[in-house]
Amino acid sequence: MIDCDVHNDWSSSNVLLPYIDPTFRDYLLRGELPGARGSFPHAHRPWLHPEDFRRHDIKPTTDDEHYSFMREHLLDRYQHDVAILTGEEALEVSTLANPHYASALARAYNDWAVDTWLPRDDRFWMSLIVAPQDPQGAAAEIRRLGAHPRVVQVLTSHGSYRPYGDKFYEPIWEACHEMGLPWAVHLGGQGGINYQPIGGGPTTYYWETHALLLQPAMTHVASVIANGIFERYPNQKLLVIECGVTWLPSILWRLDANWRALRKETPWVKRLPSEYARDHIRMSTQPLEEAATKQQLWDVLRAMDGENMLMFASDYPHWDFDAPDDMPLPPTWMDKVMDANARQVYTKLPRTPVPWQLDAHKEPAL
Amino acid sequence: MAGERAPRAHVVCRADELPPGGRVLVNLDGRSVGVFNIDGQLHALHNRCPHAAGALCMGPVTGTTAPTEAGARTFVYTQANHILRCAWHGWEFEIESGRCLSDDRVRAKRFKVAVDQGQVVVTI
Repeated sequence: MIDCDVHNDWSSSNVLLPYIDPTFRDYLLRGELPGARGSFPHAHRPWLHPEDFRRHDIKPTTDDEHYSFMREHLLDRYQHDVAILTGEEALEVSTLANPHYASALARAYNDWAVDTWLPRDDRFWMSLIVAPQDPQGAAAEIRRLGAHPRVVQVLTSHGSYRPYGDKFYEPIWEACHEMGLPWAVHLGGQGGINYQPIGGGPTTYYWETHALLLQPAMTHVASVIANGIFERYPNQKLLVIECGVTWLPSILWRLDANWRALRKETPWVKRLPSEYARDHIRMSTQPLEEAATKQQLWDVLRAMDGENMLMFASDYPHWDFDAPDDMPLPPTWMDKVMDANARQVYTKLPRTPVPWQLDAHKEPAL
Repeated sequence: MAGERAPRAHVVCRADELPPGGRVLVNLDGRSVGVFNIDGQLHALHNRCPHAAGALCMGPVTGTTAPTEAGARTFVYTQANHILRCAWHGWEFEIESGRCLSDDRVRAKRFKVAVDQGQVVVTI
């Protein structure tokens, strides 16, 4: 079983001090922070979870506990074969106005994760976090560490400065292509310079906003297809993580209809948007929409070829965690969604898929 | 085929009423038909788009962009005055073949058209 969204947190952003460039070590050591010393430099989203966005049954404090609790509550409990580490606050470098500082923090995070997380567990594979507002710096980072045998994707927040198909990001696509890495877009970065995370203006409450978290992901899907990224880079994958799932068929229907009428506007787009999506885009499952009936959910998932498009993710240890042994998916899809689809995308993983074993999981002793 | 009437020839207009670049819309036995003169060649199409029954023959006769490389994202204008865009949703059709540019399986319905003794004659 492959879990495509596992958050490896730290006790304090001070863990980055040994890794960050000297110029920016001063910033991190003495510079202004959004919270107390040890908080991570970023512009926070204006929607604050009223009960904290982490699960309340897991409260690690030390760096050792961050790992040991994860092992107990996730990796061992559900018998993970692979956990794709996606960082925690490091993703929020995308909100900073200073692109040099943002890239320095991303580099420091990546080195810290390679140095301290990967050696802890052979089930760990990691994302390379980059600062998309610094396309050249991001591209350099992808080339610096992209060949690491445990780095399986490039990761940015879905909150963004511009839609990711925009020419501004060309250096990042080029570097992803060169290093053979998918670009994964993960919920986050809804603040700072990413000033339009919600269409129509800022919503008011956390839960209402969280339900709309799919909006920027829709924008990126449309933008990347319309700008011909998949024509230019025929093996490139775009992964959409933690942005919901069931909106995809609706958006693709709409994109297909408009392309049929106005293909002349983008002559480099040579196939239906839905065909590019089928070949190049994958979605992680969490938070899987809780439809009124399983049948309604499955009808929509079938319309997007969920059997081949979906990859399981738990989002451990967050409040909207999806447990691997409680996934309301068609049983015949489980081998693919829980394992095989991700192995197609993450080509550095061992090639042999692990069949899903429904009865493998047991309630933990309390 | 049983129930299908034999093709009938209909005089649409005089040939000099349909110069190059011209178009006439007529109703022939209850069927709306557009007749176009493209560079001296006549073409008759059903004024009913195969996409969504729109007013195909009332849309602009124009050109379009040829497929180009995604890297440079350039534009090459092509087929000037050979593309009919449906008046409703804008689907593009090659007038000469009826072929839909965005879906090769879709064809606009064409009818036989000729000039006979100075008259434009459509057979449907």
